[in-house]
Parts: sequence; structure tokens; C-alpha cells
Amino acid sequence: MMKLQNRFSGPTKVEIPMAPLIDVAFLLLIFFMLNLKIVSPEGSFNINLPISAPTAAAAEITQSEIKVGMISDRQGNLMQLTLGSRNLGNDDEAFDRLNKEILKIIGRPGNPLARDIQVEIDADYETQYKYVVKAISSCTGRLDPVSKQVARYVEKIKFAPPHKPKA
Amino acid sequence: MKMRKIEMEVTEPEMTPVIDIVFQLLMFFMIAISFENTKADERIKLPKDTLAKPPVIKPEHELVLTFGYPRHASGERRQSRPEVFYNERYVDVYEILPDLEQEKRVIERVHGHHVINDVTVLIKADSEIPMGLVQELIRKCQEAGFSKFSLRTSSEEA
Repeated sequence: MMKLQNRFSGPTKVEIPMAPLIDVAFLLLIFFMLNLKIVSPEGSFNINLPISAPTAAAAEITQSEIKVGMISDRQGNLMQLTLGSRNLGNDDEAFDRLNKEILKIIGRPGNPLARDIQVEIDADYETQYKYVVKAISSCTGRLDPVSKQVARYVEKIKFAPPHKPKA
Repeated sequence: MKMRKIEMEVTEPEMTPVIDIVFQLLMFFMIAISFENTKADERIKLPKDTLAKPPVIKPEHELVLTFGYPRHASGERRQSRPEVFYNERYVDVYEILPDLEQEKRVIERVHGHHVINDVTVLIKADSEIPMGLVQELIRKCQEAGFSKFSLRTSSEEA
């Protein structure tokens, strides 16, 4: 009798084991963190296109202007990348070639004498935007693959008047 | 006289509330970071480029124009013609001028008359849009009075 009374002497606090709960919560957290698609940062190219009459502005800077042409098919795929009257091809290497040619023209990155050089991009109506961005990128500089430093080539980019769509 | 025995006990700090708070903070930062300065729009696929870096100085006034293809939930295009996503509406490039002019009026009323020359138009265009239409959008912006443009790309490693 005495023993029984001792055994049930009032309610006792039941302790919930927290450690495994936290372990599982951490695992879930890590799982979701790994699953999370990290949004890549966005960058931008600045382009100044003043509203003033384009003919007057174009006349005074024609001597230091590089013309990059982009010819595309009806689906917008790049068929030909040109620099002046030279054909550079239409693959990824074409943009590398363009990059090298621009470097030849400006001499060295950040050359003060080349500050007035302007690149005019003349793209077909259908050319997909991504190719134009690639061309702008090839003209503005080069990312050193080892040091991750950006060498700036030409800062001034403009667009030629748009073409009519292919009939 | 009874002597009470003082029990020497190790006092354990209460861990549960601490962990609760840590979780809350962690969740907050996880959500906050991914939305902070990207303002990413899943409807458009920005062209990828390694050279374009996020601007060091954020332009004081900017007008973001998102230009892409309206898509179904599955990701395929709803139509072959791209449109500007403006104020929860889809607007054709050729009909955006009134909206841009209104945008200009609002900016001028809030910040003063000459501020329009300092407004950067941030163009977020889908990578497959024909260049002619992007140029048309730029031309419409120029007609409305904007002169600074910035082409947005994704800095993802190609």
C-alpha cells in the first residue's frame, strides 16, 4: 500500500525532447536552402541617346566611329557580324574577334586618346536582343579570366537608326 | 534548528526561445536578400553577360520598363509579339507613348521640371526580342522626353 502511494504522488512534468526536433528542423532548413534558386545579380550597360537631331550629332563625330553591323535571318539568328566592311563570322568566336579588333583600334585599355571613339551598332530589325548585348559587351571591354578584372575598351555606344522588318 | 542543504545545480540556459529567434532572423534574411535589389521578373529571360556589373551608384531617378513575351504558367509564349509590362498591363510598343508621357508628367510634378534629363530608363528586355522593337521602345521613350538609357542584363556566368 505504501509503495503504491509513493509511486503516484501527483503529476510530474513531462519533458519534450527538444534536441531531435531541432535536428530535424535544421535538416529541413538546409534542404530548403540548397533548393533555393539564387537569383543572379543584374548589371547594366549605360547608353546615352540624346534626343537632339541625330544628323547634326552624327556629322561631327564620324571620323572616330566604329561601325559594327549585325545581319540576321528572319528568326533573328545572327548570320553575320561585321566590323566596318569586314566579315567576322556568326559564331561565338566572331564576338571574340570583334573584341580583339576593338582592342587593336583603341591601342590599350583605358587609352585617353581613344575616349572619343564611338561604336555604332547597326543591327537588323529581327536580330535577337541577346546578340546585340553580346556585341555591346565585346565593344565595352573584356573580363580577364584569371584576375576577374574588367578592362574597359569603348564606353560610348550608340545605335544606328532601325531598319525595316524583312517582308 | 534544521539546516537546509543548499543544492548546487547547474542552471541550463533556456535554448528553445533562442533557437526560435534565430530561425525567425534566418528566414527574414533569406527572404529579404533574394528580393532586395534584383526586382527579378520571371516572365523575362534577360540576356546573360559577364561584363555588365551592377551599378556602383544607383541612379537617382529611374524608370524600369520590362519588355517581354506574355507567357503561360508553363513558360511557353502566349503570343509571338512581345509587349511592355507596364503597371500590371500588357502594352504594345507602338501604343506606349501616352503612358510614358504620363510617367514624365508625374515625375516632373514630383521632382521638378528639369529632372527629366536625369531620369534613367532601365530597359529589361527578353533576350529573344527583335532588336528593331527594342529600338522602337527607345525611340518612344525619346519622343516622351527621356534621354538616358540603361540596358539590363543578368550577370550570370555564361
